Amino acid sequence: MDDTQQITEDEFKRLADFLYRRTGMVFTETKRYYVERRIIERIVATSSRSFAGYFAYLRSETRNEVEHLINAFTVNETYFYREDHQLACLSSDLLKERVTAKRPGDTIRIWSVPCSTGEEPYSIAIWLLENWKDVDAYDIEIVGSDIDTRVLEAAAEGIFGKRALMRLSPELIERYFHGLDDERWQILEDLRQSVRFSRVNLIETKETRPQGRFDVIFCRNVLIYFDDESRRIAAENLYDNLLPGGFICLGHTESMSRISPLFEVCRYSGAIVYRRPQELRA
Amino acid sequence: MPLIRKPASPPETPAPDDRNIAEMLIEGSDDERWTAARRTTLLPEALPLLTTALSKERIARVREAIFTALAKMGSSESAAVIIPYLRSDDAAQRTAALDALRAMPGAAAVHLPGLLKDADADVRLLACEIARVLPADDASRLLEELIERELNPNVCAAAIEVLAETGTAASLKVLGQCATRFPEEPFLAFAIKTARDRIGSR
Repeated sequence: MDDTQQITEDEFKRLADFLYRRTGMVFTETKRYYVERRIIERIVATSSRSFAGYFAYLRSETRNEVEHLINAFTVNETYFYREDHQLACLSSDLLKERVTAKRPGDTIRIWSVPCSTGEEPYSIAIWLLENWKDVDAYDIEIVGSDIDTRVLEAAAEGIFGKRALMRLSPELIERYFHGLDDERWQILEDLRQSVRFSRVNLIETKETRPQGRFDVIFCRNVLIYFDDESRRIAAENLYDNLLPGGFICLGHTESMSRISPLFEVCRYSGAIVYRRPQELRA
Repeated sequence: MPLIRKPASPPETPAPDDRNIAEMLIEGSDDERWTAARRTTLLPEALPLLTTALSKERIARVREAIFTALAKMGSSESAAVIIPYLRSDDAAQRTAALDALRAMPGAAAVHLPGLLKDADADVRLLACEIARVLPADDASRLLEELIERELNPNVCAAAIEVLAETGTAASLKVLGQCATRFPEEPFLAFAIKTARDRIGSR
C-alpha cells in the first residue's frame, strides 16, 4: 500500500472503535481526513500491504505500534502553559477547595508526573506566581517526576528554546528567565530551586509511595499508552499518592472513568478533573 | 519570588510490615485492607489470602485493589478466583471481574473456552468481551465456534461485535450462517451487516 491510497469508511470505523477501546481517544467522521492520513503513514512505515494487514499488526501490539500510532495523533511536543485551561482551573477552583482545610503556612503539594524536561512543573510555578492571590500564604512544594533520568537532568538545568516558550509573553520570559544566547533561555535560579525532581515509574508502587501524598497531581498524556494491567496499577498508585479530597488532572483525551472507579469526576468551568473521595464508599 | 523549595516531605503512609499484611487484609481498617491488598502479591501465600479477602470484602475500592492484585499475579489460578464474580448479581462486581480478567489476557485465555460454553448466557456474553483482548486469530476462532453453536441471539450479538474487530474473511461464512439462523432478530441482522462490512471491506 502506498501513501496515495485511502482507507474505506468501514476501515476507518473499525480502527476508530479499536482506538477508543484501547486508549479512550475519540475519532468521529469529522476527523476522518486527519486520521486517515496518519493511518496511511503508519501503514507505509510498517510496510504493511493493506489496511487489514496493518490492523492485525496494530492489534498484536508488536513493536509498540499502538504507541507509534498514538504519537502520530497527538502533540508530543511539550511547552510552557500547554493546556493552560487546567492551570486556570488549578488557581481558580482546585486550590480554593484544597485550602479550606488548611491554615496559612501549611504545605500544598503539587506533583507533575511525567514531567519530561520540566515545562509543566515550571509552568505550574509561574502560573501560581502570576495568577493565585494566595501564593504567598502557603508553602508550595512542586515535584516533577519522570521515568527517564536524562530528561530529569535537563529539567533541573532548566534551559529551553524558543518553541518551548512560544505560549509565554515577553514579559513573563523577562520575569522568570535569563537569556543564554539568541536561542536559549534558562529559568531563574530561585524558580529552579522551587521545583524538586525525582525519578519515578508510575507502575512501580515502591517508587511512587516515597513521593508522599499530594493535593493536586498533573498526570497528562501517559495513561493513554498503558495496557489494561498497567493502567489499573498506575491508577491505584495515583490514588495512594493523593490526599483525601485531592485532585488529579489528566490530558484532554483521557478519562479516568474508563480506567478506574476509584475517583470522582469533578466538572469545573475550565476543565474536568478527578478527585480522591473524602469519604470511603461502600 | 515567593515559591521556595521545600525539603522532600516524608511519605505519610509507611509501608506495613510484611508479617502484618495477612492480618491486615482480613481484619484491618478500610485503609489497612486497601494497603495490604496492594502488597499481598509479595507474599508466597498471596493467592489463598486474596481469595479469602475477596469473598469477605464489601468496600468497593478494596475489592478493586484485590482484583488488581489477582490480575498482577497473572496466573491461571488467580484468574480462576475472579471468574465466579462474573456470575454476581451485582453489576459493579461483574464489571470489576470482567475488567480484571481483561487485564490478564494470557491467564484468562486458559479459561475462555469453558466460559464461552458456560450454561449461563450472561457469562457467555461477558466472555465474548474477554476474547477481545486475545490475539486476533485466537479470538476469532473461539468466537466463530461460539456463534456456530449459540442459541441466544444476545450472546451472538456480543460475539459478532468483537468479531467485527478481530475477524477476517474467514469469519464471513459463520456470520452469514448466523444471519439465516435468526431471521426474526433485526438487531442481529444489523450487527452482522456491520461486522461483514468492516471485515470484508477489502
